[in-house]
Amino acid sequence: MYQVEASKALLKPRLWAGRAARLRVPRNVVMLGMVSLLTDVSSEMVATVLPLYLVFSLGASPLVFGAIDGTYGGAAALVQVASGFVSDRWRRPKGVAGLGYGLSAVGKVALVGAGNTIGGIGAIIAVDRVGKGIRTAPRDALISLSSAKDRLATSFGVHRAMDSVGAMLGPLVAFGILFVAPARFDAVFVVSTLFAVLGLAVLILNVDGRPQRLRRAERGEAAPADADADDKAAPSFRAALGLLAAPRFAPLLIAAGLLSVASVSDAMIYVGLQRNIDFDPAVFPLLYVMTAIVFMGLAIPFGQLADRVGKVPVLLGGQALLFVTYGVLMMGSVGYGALVLCLLALGGYFAATEGVLTALAGTVLPEKLQASGIGLLITVTSLGRLASSLAFGGLWFAIGLQSAVICFVAALALAMMLAAPLLLRAQRAALDG
Amino acid sequence: MDSRNGKITIVLVVLCVLLGGGYLAYAALGPDQTTTDARPQAGAAPSGVAVMVRAVDPSKPTLNGRVFVVEDGKVSRRSGDLACERVYYAAGRGICMGVAPSGVDYTAKIFDANFQTLHTIDLTGLPSRARVSADGRYGAMTVFVAGDSYLGNSTAFSTRTTILDMADGRQIGQLEQYEVTKDGKPFDAVDFNFWGVTFAKDPNRFYATLATGDHHYLVEGDIAAESMRVLRDGVECPSLSPDNRQIAYKSRIGSENRWRIHVLDVKTLADHPVAENRSIDDQVEWLDDATLAYSDGTNVYTVPADGSGEPQLLVKDATSPVRLGR
Repeated sequence: MYQVEASKALLKPRLWAGRAARLRVPRNVVMLGMVSLLTDVSSEMVATVLPLYLVFSLGASPLVFGAIDGTYGGAAALVQVASGFVSDRWRRPKGVAGLGYGLSAVGKVALVGAGNTIGGIGAIIAVDRVGKGIRTAPRDALISLSSAKDRLATSFGVHRAMDSVGAMLGPLVAFGILFVAPARFDAVFVVSTLFAVLGLAVLILNVDGRPQRLRRAERGEAAPADADADDKAAPSFRAALGLLAAPRFAPLLIAAGLLSVASVSDAMIYVGLQRNIDFDPAVFPLLYVMTAIVFMGLAIPFGQLADRVGKVPVLLGGQALLFVTYGVLMMGSVGYGALVLCLLALGGYFAATEGVLTALAGTVLPEKLQASGIGLLITVTSLGRLASSLAFGGLWFAIGLQSAVICFVAALALAMMLAAPLLLRAQRAALDG
Repeated sequence: MDSRNGKITIVLVVLCVLLGGGYLAYAALGPDQTTTDARPQAGAAPSGVAVMVRAVDPSKPTLNGRVFVVEDGKVSRRSGDLACERVYYAAGRGICMGVAPSGVDYTAKIFDANFQTLHTIDLTGLPSRARVSADGRYGAMTVFVAGDSYLGNSTAFSTRTTILDMADGRQIGQLEQYEVTKDGKPFDAVDFNFWGVTFAKDPNRFYATLATGDHHYLVEGDIAAESMRVLRDGVECPSLSPDNRQIAYKSRIGSENRWRIHVLDVKTLADHPVAENRSIDDQVEWLDDATLAYSDGTNVYTVPADGSGEPQLLVKDATSPVRLGR
């Protein structure tokens, strides 16, 4: 189903543009969605076959790959903050995002050429991660700056839905290639490279790097003097750092941190389900797919809802869906009905939170500091998630799965109670401004 | 943006479709890559030894290889279409884990004494270990499972170990769902991974590795009770001797993925290394109560279990040694 939809999207951007027009989503957002879709097809293709490739061609134990992979998570968080600030400072969100997409494309080319040693593959994965870290904040800033403030959540919903179409398509394309040409991993890497190059090309050729909101903001502030207007308009590092204490943005940041710490990561949820589930283990890989499909279907409607009734209610409502997931995790044995309920809740939670939160940040942040602020937000939430995983793993070990889940039910309830007034304050500030 | 850029984009899309399609056609028409035609060669094997092995092409160590029987220093039989990455066999029932013909995913085949496939099981990950109980009643398989990367999951690996009924190919248990105790108390953590099952003479009993954090525990399990208990730390891929008195295993060197083969006494849990000083990543096989067989990825060697002597080449270009004729 999504395959057909996306191949149309690939060949006829106008179809998407038509649908987007009905959603009143700016063309720039759809194009950024297309860039993400193509790039995700590219990187998910590689992610899908890399373990097979390592074992098949290099004879490496997949555990080696786990070690390669885990090393770079921390570095990516720092890169995000830095790239966000640099993008604001130079006022070149498109350029910085392009650098990130470009690095990932270079990584794919390198895989075709030199990806036949463990060390080489480790380096390529590192480059890919850095590229991803660099591009996220400026890209989200571009989405935000391309949309009217009252349509932001819809814009992010459209982008995230397209992004996940790419993530779903990638493995299908990779498996399709290996089905036609068994064990020809080089063909997978070549096609992946082409997708990455296309993504970069769509960014360069079809994305407006100086969207409306940004231009208007620059005009407003750069009017008085000509000579040093650029210096005045370009935000200083101190201004970016000031976001941490900004009365509008700081509450949002704190709320996001609290909520992310109290949310059990999906990876942990899947492991928990695996322990309690009563059916064929062959179903496990489908858990991810089902969650992704739910996410894909709900991202846009939830975004529209957030624009209509307010971002905070949708955000908190989505967060509350996690209680359903926690409830299923606490059950001693999980049947099909409970599993479906759990995955619906999980997909809905993703659809109602990440994009909507970024949209809320987009309305609160000053135009000049969009990328810096979004970079900070991503870093805070990813550190929060890391803390959550460590805490949940530790609790599971110390007091067992069910008690650990009970702790997280309490933590989430508390976090939501603390976060709600903070988020509402941020939303009000956005409306006043 | 403007129509010129739109046109350039369309030209690029067409170009990429042509390039990608062309390369794919070139790859698809090339030779089959999933099964090697390699043949093993018997080394200076002592007479009276019969082993089943999987052939390996030394230049591409993990391609599916056919299954051969090496007896009295000669290759005596080979499988037809049956080709795998891991093989094990006992009492007329074998497990062959390998890449599916599509090259896309993995399957396990349960085969009989004539290499005829009786049952096919889809695997959820990359083949790692296979064992069959001495009476041919139960089988055990370990696969590596990748955490899918949908929604930004990590791609870290975990293992999954399944117990099979060899008569009908049914999966009757998963070690991840067994109850574990340590020092008499319930023991559980999010990062539990199990691998390397070895069956006792009483096939309801088995040993395996439980990994959590930096620990690799030797566990003793009970299939009927779906339970396991922790015996000691630092034991990977255990292999029980035919008399059930000793366990040969991989002992990790430091925190790297390097191992020495050790043998421990089941009663005292005391251990000693054997006279193989290279790093070996294999689940060792016992040829008899005093001799081990193992593969370094390209050849099969034997070494005395008591730590004396030195490694001897048993079969060249082969892995997955299985003792026959018990």
